Amino acid sequence: MIALFITFFAAVVILFLGLNKKESSFSNLAVVALMASSICSFCNAKGLCNFAILESWVPANMMLFGYSEHMFASLLAFISAVIVFAFRKNDNLGTDQLGLIMFSLCGAFMMISYQHIVMLFLGIEVLSIPLYVLAGSKKDSLASNEASLKYFLMGAFSTGIFLLGTAFIYGGTGSLELEMMGIKPSFMHAMEGMPIPTLINAGLILMSVGLLFKVAAAPFHFWAPDVYEGSPNRTTVFMATIVKITAFVAFNKLLSTFGGIHNTWSGWLCVLGMITIVWGNLAGLVQNGVKRTLAFSSIAHAGYLVMFLLILDESKTWILWYYGFAYALASVLVFLISHQSTTDKNPVGFDMFNGLSKRSPWVAFALVVGVLSMAGIPISAGFDAKFYLFSFAWQSSPWLVGVGLLGSAISIGYYFKFIKHSFLVKVDGDETAVEYNDKGLMMLIAALLLLAGAMPWVLLKWVF
Amino acid sequence: MEIILIPIIAALVTAGLGKRSNVWISTLLSLIPLAVLYTYFTRFGVDNGWKTIFDLTWISENIRFTLGFDGLTGMLLLLTNLMVPVIVMAGIRDDENRVKLTALTLFMQGALNGVFMAQDGLMFYIFWELALIPIYFITLTMSGENAFKITLRFFLYTFIGSLAMLASLLYLFLHTANYSFSFEALRAVELSRIESIWVGAGILLAFVVKIPLLPFHSWQADTYTHSPAAGSMLLSGIMLKMGLYGLLRWYLPLAPESIEFFQPWIIGLSVAGVLYGALIAIRQKDMKRLIAFSSLSHVALIAAGIFTLTAEGLEGGVLQMFVHGVNVIGLFLVVELIEKSTGTRLLGELGGLAKSNRSFMIFFMLLALGTVAVPFTNGFPGEFMLLKAVYMYNPNMALLAGLTIIFCAVYIFRMVQFSMFGEGKHEVLSLKWNEYVAFGILSVAVLLIGFVPQLFIDVVHSSILQIVTWVSEAKGVLS
Repeated sequence: MIALFITFFAAVVILFLGLNKKESSFSNLAVVALMASSICSFCNAKGLCNFAILESWVPANMMLFGYSEHMFASLLAFISAVIVFAFRKNDNLGTDQLGLIMFSLCGAFMMISYQHIVMLFLGIEVLSIPLYVLAGSKKDSLASNEASLKYFLMGAFSTGIFLLGTAFIYGGTGSLELEMMGIKPSFMHAMEGMPIPTLINAGLILMSVGLLFKVAAAPFHFWAPDVYEGSPNRTTVFMATIVKITAFVAFNKLLSTFGGIHNTWSGWLCVLGMITIVWGNLAGLVQNGVKRTLAFSSIAHAGYLVMFLLILDESKTWILWYYGFAYALASVLVFLISHQSTTDKNPVGFDMFNGLSKRSPWVAFALVVGVLSMAGIPISAGFDAKFYLFSFAWQSSPWLVGVGLLGSAISIGYYFKFIKHSFLVKVDGDETAVEYNDKGLMMLIAALLLLAGAMPWVLLKWVF
Repeated sequence: MEIILIPIIAALVTAGLGKRSNVWISTLLSLIPLAVLYTYFTRFGVDNGWKTIFDLTWISENIRFTLGFDGLTGMLLLLTNLMVPVIVMAGIRDDENRVKLTALTLFMQGALNGVFMAQDGLMFYIFWELALIPIYFITLTMSGENAFKITLRFFLYTFIGSLAMLASLLYLFLHTANYSFSFEALRAVELSRIESIWVGAGILLAFVVKIPLLPFHSWQADTYTHSPAAGSMLLSGIMLKMGLYGLLRWYLPLAPESIEFFQPWIIGLSVAGVLYGALIAIRQKDMKRLIAFSSLSHVALIAAGIFTLTAEGLEGGVLQMFVHGVNVIGLFLVVELIEKSTGTRLLGELGGLAKSNRSFMIFFMLLALGTVAVPFTNGFPGEFMLLKAVYMYNPNMALLAGLTIIFCAVYIFRMVQFSMFGEGKHEVLSLKWNEYVAFGILSVAVLLIGFVPQLFIDVVHSSILQIVTWVSEAKGVLS
């Protein structure tokens, strides 16, 4: 709850103070606020400080921050802080975009801590509406406008489907509270011979469609490549990391509620996971644009995370936390480097990395670490994340794990394009020379990925 | 732990210093682990099994970061940490790639030390892959025109092999009582014969690709020929031993029920490889390619000896692993020096080098004699033990494999003759201090092992007995 308060008030303050000022002069303030909410959530989870007075502000049957919710809030705020800091150098007039990012994050906090479907719906909207605006924030770019419109239309449509599902669920279970909702179907299932009402099944499928849209899982992923490509880089990273992690946390909560009847929904979810992994990786292989490749990579990652939904063990949320941590940091790193490598001459293709190892060896090193972590190569955090996920999902969905392993093998094909272009392709002359800012930040993230990869247990012991 | 961390830090220091570092600094940095290794030998000894010397909770409570030490590990560590300084000292040319190559070699030293000490299956796999990364960059960025094609083939071979090994290890992991990757836990898993054959096949695939055995060898010659000298030395001298070490340390104890099934195949393929490598080596014109095929032939004999499952075969195998490392690194160093001063390594274009540099000739001859396995050089005792072990298994096989001694003499002396004697066409520059020291280390190793092989066999004796006991126990269970 404390994270929500700090982020919200900081967003309001930044929005109004910076009405006519340069955005870059307020970025640091936003970073400080986000870090503060991250640290406060962490301390709150660890019991180092207590903000009970804030908790009573919303009834516990609407929103509840427990240990893992605090941890996820801490993670999301931390990643947002890194994103805002990494992309702080721009000359936007007015701080509206900063404010929108932080408001969107408030929606994410609502989504991870909801106890009532209305709260989840509110969270989704609060998360999404700023993103529709942010996607189109490059007003003079056709692609950005297209991304915004596409994202808005598809998003509005999927929210409608989600709401229809909610109505069905209400009809089937008689409640929208998370605790009450699961009781009836589980009870019915336990009694032999009692069929589960079609309303519940249909409602669950429709609600899942809404959430699968948010995580960009196949077959609801069609918006992702275009939107990711068209949006400004900062918004793309935000969508690829924060939105994805948040939606999975919310989705996991919803499905755990219906854990009693998991054999009615685990089948199709498993198949969707397989399709997502295979499609994301195969389509990733044939892309030419860096951002499109990363978009398909993020689709594939959504497929891997479907495994997590099928584990159905309350005590295993740390897997999602660790996966989110590894995936988000690596994404920020790769997006940041490709953002800074973009030139007028090489706007989208992999050519932007040509000769990077000669031009700027440390940046090339950081890029390799980020890409290898996404691919899941050992001693990067991505490897441990995949290892935990796959080995715990083995019991519940062995076939999906098999497809996941296959998909990881395929994915090496497109991740190595980054390495190939930055190490192998020689360039004559230095016409493509780009100044890299924030080399320190890049190295820091790379070091964090390697350290967390080499000693994951130290981190997890500390966090969970 | 120090022995893994120090080379990696040394690699970072070298990369950080850039052009300011020189061969002195990097040689000194690469020698530190040797001192650490000495303390390991004195502190932990080589008897009483595979002792855990470092233990840390890593990925979960039961997947731990554990390092072990015993005679077998010690022997391979000695090879790594003795040969890497030689490579760093003399095997790296002073050109634009020097810093990169030195840093990657030092990094490799750390990763290899990890491979030989890892006591946890997952850790073994990770270090195995980590050791692949530097050599991947070396071949990719420094081996001329066809770099990408060569590297891709090499990478695909080894990567598919590693994935098969990972799958087998994961299968064992999922069948352990408490989801543990530790060597003991993996060994305790009871497998049926069919399961064991599949698990064994996965583990074997990684190792036979790396060794390489006959049908999996096609990556080898091109990679060795086109890599810079340091890369060839690392690959043939040390990395290849990872495969043989893996056979001894991981394959035999983990899937002993499958050995009976694979034994005739592996020995048959090895003996075929011995002859095939030797016959092709005779026809080679490029010295590096010649050494590559000679290495294929020698290493296949080691694999055959290991698969006879006798203590003699295993001990001879370990001894020969060390010896082959010394000899092949020496020969590649010779070729590197010849190429550096004459600009060619084709036998037809060389000749009469002995006249220009006598001490170089002596070192070359010593290494050549060692490779041919003349008595009182290092090749003899190991090869003798291996052939004897193969003879006990099947006399006809030993007869065929024994031909390698003749063939080896033919191609090695052909190489010496065409490059060193006859009409003088080129000159070898006089050796510098670092090359003298490198050749000195190699020569001492050649003669020392030749005269007192027992010194080295005693180091690995108790580890080998342990492995042989495990294997024979498993056979007892079956029959």
